[in-house]
Amino acid sequence: MTTHYLVLSALLFAIGAVGVLVRRNAIVVFMCVELMLNACNLAFVTFARQHGNLDGQLIAFFVMVVAAAEVVVGLAIIVTIFRTRRSASVDDANLLKY
Amino acid sequence: MEPVEIIQHSGGVIGVAWLMIALPLLGAAILLLGGRRTDRWGHLLGVVMSLASFAVAVLAFVELLGMSGDQRRREIELFQFIPGMVDMGLLIDPLSIAFALLITGVGSLIHIYSIGYMSHDPGRRRFFSYLNLFVAAMLLLVLADNYVGLYIGWEGVGLASYLLIGFWQHKPSAATAAQKAFIVNRVGDFGLAIGVFLIWTTFGSVAYGPVFQVAGQAEQGVLTAIGLLLLLGACGKSAQLPLQSWLLDAMEGPTPVSALIHAATMVTAGVYLVVRSGAAFFPVGSTAALVVTVVGVATLLAGAIIGTAKDDIKKGLAGSTMSQIGYMMLGAGLGPVGYVFAIGHLITHGFFKANLFLGAGSIMHAMNDEVDMRKYGGLRKLLPVTFVTFFIGYLAIIGFPLLSGYFTKDGIIETAMHHSPVLGWLAVLGAGITGFYMSRMVFMTFFGQKRWAEDAHPHESPAVMTVPLIILSIGSIFLGGYLVLGNTLANWLAPAVGGPEEPIEFHFVTTPGIATLVLVAIGAAFAWMKYGRAEVPVVAPRGSFVTTFARRDLYGDAINESLLMRPGQWLTRLAVFFDNRGVDGVVNGIAAGIGGTSGRLRRIQTGFARSYALSILFGAAVVAGALLLVGNI
Amino acid sequence: MNGAIEAPTIEYGQLMPMLLVFGAAVVGVLIEALAPRYLRKAIHVPVTLLSLAGAFALIILQAVRDGVPEQASAMGAIAVDGPALFIWGVILVLAFISMLLINDDDQFVAQAAAVPGSPEEEDAVAQGGAHTEVYPLALFAIGGMLLFSSANDLLIMFVALEVMSLPLYLLCGLARRRRLLSQEASVKYFLLGAFSSGFFLYGMALVYGFAGTVDLGGISSALASVGGQDSLLYIGVALLGVGLFFKIGAAPFQAWKPDVYQGAPTPITALMASGTLVAAFGAVLRVFWVALGNLDWDWRPVMWAVAILTMVVGAILAITQTDIKRMLAYSSIAHAGFLLIGVIATGDAEQNSGSLSGILFYLLTYGITTVGAFAVVTMVRDAGGEAGHLSRWAGLGKRSPLLAGIFAFFLLAFAGIPLTSGFFGKYAVFAPAVSGGALGLVVVGVISSAVAAFFYVRVIVLMFFSEPAADGPTVALPSVGTAAVVTIAAAATVVLGVFPQPVLDLADQAASALFIR
Repeated sequence: MTTHYLVLSALLFAIGAVGVLVRRNAIVVFMCVELMLNACNLAFVTFARQHGNLDGQLIAFFVMVVAAAEVVVGLAIIVTIFRTRRSASVDDANLLKY
Repeated sequence: MEPVEIIQHSGGVIGVAWLMIALPLLGAAILLLGGRRTDRWGHLLGVVMSLASFAVAVLAFVELLGMSGDQRRREIELFQFIPGMVDMGLLIDPLSIAFALLITGVGSLIHIYSIGYMSHDPGRRRFFSYLNLFVAAMLLLVLADNYVGLYIGWEGVGLASYLLIGFWQHKPSAATAAQKAFIVNRVGDFGLAIGVFLIWTTFGSVAYGPVFQVAGQAEQGVLTAIGLLLLLGACGKSAQLPLQSWLLDAMEGPTPVSALIHAATMVTAGVYLVVRSGAAFFPVGSTAALVVTVVGVATLLAGAIIGTAKDDIKKGLAGSTMSQIGYMMLGAGLGPVGYVFAIGHLITHGFFKANLFLGAGSIMHAMNDEVDMRKYGGLRKLLPVTFVTFFIGYLAIIGFPLLSGYFTKDGIIETAMHHSPVLGWLAVLGAGITGFYMSRMVFMTFFGQKRWAEDAHPHESPAVMTVPLIILSIGSIFLGGYLVLGNTLANWLAPAVGGPEEPIEFHFVTTPGIATLVLVAIGAAFAWMKYGRAEVPVVAPRGSFVTTFARRDLYGDAINESLLMRPGQWLTRLAVFFDNRGVDGVVNGIAAGIGGTSGRLRRIQTGFARSYALSILFGAAVVAGALLLVGNI
Repeated sequence: MNGAIEAPTIEYGQLMPMLLVFGAAVVGVLIEALAPRYLRKAIHVPVTLLSLAGAFALIILQAVRDGVPEQASAMGAIAVDGPALFIWGVILVLAFISMLLINDDDQFVAQAAAVPGSPEEEDAVAQGGAHTEVYPLALFAIGGMLLFSSANDLLIMFVALEVMSLPLYLLCGLARRRRLLSQEASVKYFLLGAFSSGFFLYGMALVYGFAGTVDLGGISSALASVGGQDSLLYIGVALLGVGLFFKIGAAPFQAWKPDVYQGAPTPITALMASGTLVAAFGAVLRVFWVALGNLDWDWRPVMWAVAILTMVVGAILAITQTDIKRMLAYSSIAHAGFLLIGVIATGDAEQNSGSLSGILFYLLTYGITTVGAFAVVTMVRDAGGEAGHLSRWAGLGKRSPLLAGIFAFFLLAFAGIPLTSGFFGKYAVFAPAVSGGALGLVVVGVISSAVAAFFYVRVIVLMFFSEPAADGPTVALPSVGTAAVVTIAAAATVVLGVFPQPVLDLADQAASALFIR
């Protein structure tokens, strides 16, 4: 029964990862990362159910908190670079290379 | 009598003997790192560090005195230097402590003298930091209990010497001289390094204790090879033939440096190396020992001949230094009795030669840094203290009866005579020439007419310079007798280097002794006729073939150039030619290949965050795939 | 379950060093909130430095008085064992000297929110504004490093990873000059860091799915008892590894390192290059040795490949770099590869403790030299701030021989020349690796060291044997803090290169009992 949830979580994770690669807007890229974290949460909760212990569910809460903290930091950084460059495209930030 | 066993030591002053090295090293570090902030008091710190090191040496010496003879070789462990190969430790024994006392004692006096001598020099702090660095490295050289420690100290004094010879870099001659000293010393150091490697591969250790214990069991050929390689190192550092050429040019450095490094201490490192390794690699009668004596005699004559023709007072003294170290080398090749006189002469020479050099410095100080003795003359009234002390040093070096040099040099000559009359008589001849060139120096400088430059106003040096001169001249008078009479030095050194079977008796009246005195007297009289009584021309006359020969340092540079440098250049050109075609092609190919790869690979770093994310995803997939593959095999 | 929940026990004494750092960070936030602007820096500096020094003292006290605990603390969440204490000590030392550098004025932006080149920025600069938030941010990052290296449970490790990284993302964007580069570094570091921590988290989920626990010891015993290891476990291990390899900058996860190191304010680069690397290696060792020790036959071949790739990429790409910080970043990648050799060289307990001790010593030597090198970089400046381009460093040896000499010395230490600390660091890692059967890796390591030595020497040649540029950079008169950092780093590099034995002994002692489970 739990396999379906795991497949879903893997799909969400893959969508998130691919989204990071194909989207240009930093905000969207960042949202894709959040999607990956939530895929993890789903996997944790599923495994917690499978093992019959609460560790996984507990971890999911921790992950949410960490994700929230990440949002704060991430948005701050993205807004700063947006104000400087008038663009939130990750491809525009391309001075550091080689 | 064999050298006694080495005993592990802890506690007491000897237990902290590393302070001797650490203090001057700390001084050098503070002065170098502190920069201009330490300009005002830097020289004082240098002096204090040197004196503190001297104090530790004296206390360790006293502690060693309190032990019985067979207890007097103490080893202290410091740390594992190269794990499993070299344990760094110090060996405090009569030989090393004698050197430590000489280095720190004379070193401190020269530090003090330098306060006055360098008082107008903007780089005084830097000068003192180098001096401290030198003292630390030299102490490491003599106190280390293994060849690697000795080698590090050896390179350290080489570095300090290089820095100090080139101290006045703005003079091109000084910079060239520093480089020359560095390069010539490299040849010797190379020999020493190979010798140490050979010791390590032969005996599996580089510490003195274990190596000397099993040295006898090695093959004769290997022992000779090690001996000759060590001797090559010794020749480089001690300016012995054929690596003597750098010492005369090294006089470009400030005079206290010439006194400390190029007369009293560093140049005697070669003698230390030979004596320290004596029992193992230079036993009496071996080929290596024979070569040592031959090198010694050849150098003592060559140095003396060079000394006769120099008008530059410091270069004259440098030739004399070469010659006197030749005597020590000769002694060092003659077994335990020779060691005693070699070390004895080393100590007394340290005093009277430092005395003479500092005296020369004092004269230069008075004469606007003029070094040409032809522009001196009649200075004895104006520089009374310098004159008296210089004169004492002069009497000591020519071996005037009952002064320091008399005992130690005569000891070497007599021991050599015992060994081989040819060596002995050549050494006597050297003493005669010494009498001539030293008298010439004294007469040209202090007697006769004034031949000064117009703007010269000679004046006696300040007390900070004359007091060290007085102390050194007192040592020049009494030290030799104290060390030799009553076997003081022989008994003292016996635990470290082995002693003669019977106590050495010093005979005051012997054939070689009298012959030496007669020759010296003739030399001095000849000098008086030529330079004391007669007018000395301000410009050097052309002179005979022999004079030219001596003035050109016996064509040492020319020989080096034609025998070593030219073929070397030719070989280099040949090698470069082949290198370009063969070896270099491969090396360049590899370098170009790596460079090209690098240039192409760095294009992968596109600067796009998304491409980096792709590489992470790609990497993750590869790592996961590989793990699955490995896990399911 | 009888309804009664047992209150967890927490060994506050053992955790005190970390709690002190976190506490100081919280105090720092309060200072930001309550203290008037002009006083903040004056309060932050002592609070920060004292808390770091105090934490270090507590570690010494702990090690000397109480010895090393046998059991993990805080209900098995944090392991304060010998290696952890050593790594804590190293992190705190590195953090302290990095803080001296961070403390230097003129490194951080006056007003981060102001657009570069705008009137607001000019105003902020004119008013002498400064972001004193860097102190609590750095403290949080340092606390995260401490936690990261001692986490005995994957959840704690993940939280620590974020606590360590989030402040660093921000700090990277706060450079005073070349703000576009700085902000770009920040955004790249943030996005890629979040991306990689997603992988770490998913790997953690899969491992949890296999073992039913995230406790490192628990995972280890599950691996020993449960047969028929499934594919999800391997994928999980791989993803965990990705997250960790990203942090240490192992290839092919190294791409962020040069960009971020170059763009970030140099003092922050110094903190990242030293502290983060040390902490990340602590975590790598814990995950692969403690939790996955029973799986070593499976992960070792993969890590071989990663280590070789890392060393080669680091050494080769460094050759053609033209920016000094970028070159040091590639050098840091190569060094991460050398350290991975030690991680791979496992075997029996004696072998493990030999390798561990080598890694610990290497981390210390490399970290200190790195901070020193970046400190020198901060001092060589021209009109637009630090003179990063290597061509600007030509002839530096003629202008300020002492500084150039010290920098050359650091580079020689990186290259592992004898009589520098780097030599013994490499020796300490390579020697056990040879006996641990990783001879092939050591050969690659030595070859890459030789390639690496080439570009270090190239910089030295450039500094001493090239004619200085006419309008070359000036060497700023260092502040007391910067001068202290350079001096401490140079002294440590010398001392550890000449008298390494006491510290080697200490590392041996710390490594002797290995990790507790």
